Amino acid sequence: MKFDLTIALADRPGELIRALEPIAKNGGNIISIIHEREKPSDAFVPVSLVVDFPSKWNLRKTIEDLKRLGVAIIRSEEIIDTTRVTAILIGSVDIKRLAEAGIRNVKIVGFEVSAPTSKDACLKLELEIPTEHVEEALDDIRRIAKAENALLLSPI
Amino acid sequence: MKVILVGFGFIGRGLVKTFHEKLDKIRILDREFKLVGVSDSRGYLYDEDGLDLEKLADVKRLSEYPNEYREGGSAEELIEKGNADLMVETTPTNIKNGEPGLTFMRKALSEGIHVVTSNKGPLVVAFRDLTMLAEKNGCHLLYEGTVAGAVPIFSLVRECLQGDKIRRISGILNGTTNYILSRMYFEGTSFELALKEAQERGITERDSSYDVDGIDAACKVVILANALMNRNVKFEDVERTGIRRITQEAVSLAKKSNFAIKLVGTIDRRIEVAPKLVPINHPLCVHGTLNAVYIETDLAKELTLVGYGAGKETVSAVLNDVLTVMKRTQVENHKSWKRSRA
Repeated sequence: MKFDLTIALADRPGELIRALEPIAKNGGNIISIIHEREKPSDAFVPVSLVVDFPSKWNLRKTIEDLKRLGVAIIRSEEIIDTTRVTAILIGSVDIKRLAEAGIRNVKIVGFEVSAPTSKDACLKLELEIPTEHVEEALDDIRRIAKAENALLLSPI
Repeated sequence: MKVILVGFGFIGRGLVKTFHEKLDKIRILDREFKLVGVSDSRGYLYDEDGLDLEKLADVKRLSEYPNEYREGGSAEELIEKGNADLMVETTPTNIKNGEPGLTFMRKALSEGIHVVTSNKGPLVVAFRDLTMLAEKNGCHLLYEGTVAGAVPIFSLVRECLQGDKIRRISGILNGTTNYILSRMYFEGTSFELALKEAQERGITERDSSYDVDGIDAACKVVILANALMNRNVKFEDVERTGIRRITQEAVSLAKKSNFAIKLVGTIDRRIEVAPKLVPINHPLCVHGTLNAVYIETDLAKELTLVGYGAGKETVSAVLNDVLTVMKRTQVENHKSWKRSRA
């Protein structure tokens, strides 16, 4: 699981090394690190890290250890890898009903309707879906389409 | 090698012509090659010394061949008396019960005759039975022409991907629907008009639902799944959606997002034939009557084969299967000759 972890380090030599140790100790694999020296405030420098931890528990332990070292945590949140998916529905599907159906994990980020009053209306959806849930989200949409007697065109 | 041909339709006649045109090449492989019998639905021709390929290539009906045409004689009779090494079976596809091809293939294999076929029906209905029967009787059963016509998918996997595990196959497996969808994509025509054009060009089946409702593509998916992915799939297991509901509006919306709508057969978690959005720069995005097969394996990763899936090009696949059987039997004969000397 990837996390965005932003910490505030005292602007002194050796602080960064000291802060990285709990991350390594708790099984974190650092994917990127940005030492934002151009943005110091009150003698602290923000450091943004993307870290891959085996679980949220490992992140919590790391934060506890960092706090014990006196490192302030500015932000810690999971980075969800999402995939953009285009889908087309043919048939009288109401986008409001579709949105209300609450398809798990799916965010509708764009849509376009063609021939909306026809029984073969076309609805193009631009969706944002967590990458690991794409298949199940499309299965959910397929079920809704079937119930509405609409045809779902999904990407290969 | 003595060969009999069962079925004298479009593919059967094309094969006879090709045998005639490429006889020198075939005889380099096997000096004894001869076509000793040919049957159609009404009777058969038989000559144990080999039929005259030049004369046979000139006739449209077997009864026009200048020799005794045994009217009323059956293909089964020909299989029994032909003393053939190989039967090429090109009767029309029947996906309900595989007949009459299924009976002919069972009979030939039971009698130890190798079989090459371009007929999907028997393989859709009884793939496992036929492959087991072939194995039990020491026969080769090859069927390259059944899926994507001239595209050598089974030969490629058999010869060149022997150590690979196939994870997923997707493909455009029906040229007619690809033609219709291509016309809708490029010319902006309606489905109904594009279907009419396809019918006028003579590229649809007599019953167009066979193409447009995805029946033909589903048959091919069954054969691919069973032959290449060791599944035990029946026709009813394929989730099937045709292209009748594809509107010009849907094609345009897809096009605006750089997709083309294609009828795609897929074998992975789901086994299905359905219209899909194919990115226009994806290797599967071929147009007109072309077929394309996209294979994903553990070692070679992705491979794409593109070619013509029906018509006279299919003869290429059938001829290659015939030559493959010839080569294999020569190797087997050589081995048994060495054993007999030892």
